[in-house]
Amino acid sequence: MKLIKKQIPLAIVFITGVLTLVSYYVPHKMSVNYIETINKWENIVVAFAFLLGLVSLFFSHYNKISRKVDGWGYSIFVFIGFLAMVVPALVSQGKQMTDTGFTALGWSYKFIYTSLSGTMFAVLAFYIVSTAYRSFRIRSLQAFVLFIAAFILILGKVPLGQIIWDWVLGWTGRGVNDVIEWIMQVPAVAGKRGIMIGISIGAIVTSLKIIFGIEKQYMGKD
Amino acid sequence: MLKEQLQKFFKIDRRWIFLLLAVTLFVPIMKPLGLPNKTISPATKRVYENLEKLPAGSFVLFSLDYDPSTRPELHPMATALVRHAFSRNLKVGVVTYIAGSTGLIEELFAKVSREYNKVDGQDYVIFPYQPNILAVLTQMSSDLYGIYSKDRNGTPVRDMPVLKGIKSYKDMSVIVCVTGTAILDYWVAYVGDKYRVPVAGGVTAISQPGYGPYLQTNQLKGLIGGMKGAAEYESLIKQPGKGTSGIDALNLAHLLVLALIFTSNILLILIRYL
Repeated sequence: MKLIKKQIPLAIVFITGVLTLVSYYVPHKMSVNYIETINKWENIVVAFAFLLGLVSLFFSHYNKISRKVDGWGYSIFVFIGFLAMVVPALVSQGKQMTDTGFTALGWSYKFIYTSLSGTMFAVLAFYIVSTAYRSFRIRSLQAFVLFIAAFILILGKVPLGQIIWDWVLGWTGRGVNDVIEWIMQVPAVAGKRGIMIGISIGAIVTSLKIIFGIEKQYMGKD
Repeated sequence: MLKEQLQKFFKIDRRWIFLLLAVTLFVPIMKPLGLPNKTISPATKRVYENLEKLPAGSFVLFSLDYDPSTRPELHPMATALVRHAFSRNLKVGVVTYIAGSTGLIEELFAKVSREYNKVDGQDYVIFPYQPNILAVLTQMSSDLYGIYSKDRNGTPVRDMPVLKGIKSYKDMSVIVCVTGTAILDYWVAYVGDKYRVPVAGGVTAISQPGYGPYLQTNQLKGLIGGMKGAAEYESLIKQPGKGTSGIDALNLAHLLVLALIFTSNILLILIRYL
């Protein structure tokens, strides 16, 4: 049992991991063929994972509706939203436009999906502005530095801000874009580069731990 | 007494602020201020120059990976980029790895292809949405047709005039990814660096600072950032569009944010020392 549940999966992960890693650096026909095969397998697995996710989502919301848990009414919209896009997609055979204009799918996309998605994102702007007033407190030196950087970036990103900068600070001989360029090229890049290096080292270490069987959580608890 | 009155400002119903923002955005949208965009950032200019220097007939691949939520920022820059490519008579291929972007791509090409009399299959090709981006990017390095055998309408692509002589990345002149996600990072790491293809990008303003390291090392051959970047690109190709008009609304919204931060902090100082 241990062989099937533990050793064989670990061997598969080790062999696949090493082969894929090596293929990235070896420009040989065999490695290219191997990567192409793996890519096709990956796409098939992703398709099944997508289907699994969809079924799981439906079961979860169906249960909420059947048990009438708090907010069960929202779960109905999961099915309405799904049908509002999938039925037109099937009717239109996946095409969104023809020479004569929108198909049913194109119409649903433009007038349902686009509107809903745009509205959801636009709501963020209201919360950001409200939070700026209610929560942005300059209580420490760090908060002050953050405020100054944010102030310059917010101001310099629009023409009206550039005009105000030139009017108030034009005598310094430095345009707001010069200051923004410096902020983006020096402190922002330094911070971002540190984060990127940290994340990359973490990802490499985790990958190696999985390939060499040190990290086994993906296999479950049994 | 005054202190208590000032404190009331912090308990203001947030809906008043929402209303203030709504009015601030509504006015310039209805009546644009028309302020000139005086400066063009070097990163935007680099994207423009990379397309501008290509000879007619070169193949440019656009990866348009944004959905309606980021449309106001990214659609104007994608439109400007496609207009630029068509005006230079470049051959255009379009891929996407965000399912929600397919309708926006259709809309864009239905409009812009008519402006330049470009024909689907002859001057441009739109590939279907594909999940699992990393597998697709890797596959395209050896054989494009191994993953994209048909266009988004199911028409076989192998014999399309637009794809004549195009088999993998080495046949492409530039790749431009417009996205509000981390997909541009994948293009840089898995394609640009590995296969030596120039990769440029267009991103939302909020994610723009994160690409500074790639720009410095020239792994990214230019970057258009947010609505301002879109407006800059529109002014470079001398075709004002939604980026240019949208920046008016941003003008006042940005100043409103600054004014609110200032106001709240000045009130805080007054309360503390009164």
